[in-house]
Amino acid sequence: MNSLGEYIALIIILACLVLSALSAVLIRGQITTIIVLSVFSVLCAVLFAMLQAVDVAMAEAVIGAGFLTALFVTAADKTRGQGS
Amino acid sequence: MNQSYDTSKKIRHLLAGIFTLSLGASLIWLILEATGMPLTPDLGYVMNSVGDTGSINVVTAILMDYRGFDTLGEASVIFTSVAVTAAILAEPVFTLERPILSIITRRAIAYLVPVFFMFPLYVITHGHLSPGGGFQGGVSLAVLVILTHVVFGHNLAMKKIPFSLLTMGEYWAALSFGILGLLGIFTGVGFLANLATGVPRGIPGQLLSGGLIPVLNLIVGIKVAAGLSSLYITLEGNPRRKK
Repeated sequence: MNSLGEYIALIIILACLVLSALSAVLIRGQITTIIVLSVFSVLCAVLFAMLQAVDVAMAEAVIGAGFLTALFVTAADKTRGQGS
Repeated sequence: MNQSYDTSKKIRHLLAGIFTLSLGASLIWLILEATGMPLTPDLGYVMNSVGDTGSINVVTAILMDYRGFDTLGEASVIFTSVAVTAAILAEPVFTLERPILSIITRRAIAYLVPVFFMFPLYVITHGHLSPGGGFQGGVSLAVLVILTHVVFGHNLAMKKIPFSLLTMGEYWAALSFGILGLLGIFTGVGFLANLATGVPRGIPGQLLSGGLIPVLNLIVGIKVAAGLSSLYITLEGNPRRKK
């Protein structure tokens, strides 16, 4: 990391990561939590891409934001109204 | 008794909070330190990977050649999870058609789907040249199968991409990965060996290069795509359990 601008962008992304992780736990409602988790994954992918790990960034974006969201939404839909 | 329970709970929450905060702070410190460090990975891999494997992408060279056995284990993890899901849940049947999206969305997605399919195919076939590889492209293909299910409804999607095709892809990809690994044993150099088996190397940087790496990428891509999309279809095709 060589320039100040990249450093500031890194700090902002790290802060947003902490915020989205906290809000995924604190927010009420299953669907909202799932969407916030996918936002977390996208931020993680951006972070990996900034740290020159493009392979990992691609895997994180596709799995975390795409596939896991679909699986979680399906599971939430199938188990709606059971438990809390 | 109630009060002591409350205090112990408070102490536990306090300890958990301190632990989590310190973990997060140390993680941020670690990342900031790591970004300031000069890049000094294991130079042996970086210097020799093109000569050893014929693959320009060092990450793919490590995943598919130096550590091909780990990739086999990773693929069998997915295979196991799909097998367990299929054993617990029943075979997917779609009797009730879910409400499909409007005609505008369906037409727009229908024009875009071929373009969407080009991206994972590019990622899989160029795994040894550019970032990505079989795993990333395979998950993208699985997500596209989910997209066709969500947009066009289950009946049309099951007609276009039959479930038996997905299970066949899963079985045969797993089998052919092992058979390709046995090629190294028959030529006497070791399980999952690549260039030492005598396969043509090709010119590094071209599409057909790197010995067995493109073939392994293709197999892993088919396997991951078939496994993950059949996981979704199995989950979606089972009725909601009554309480």
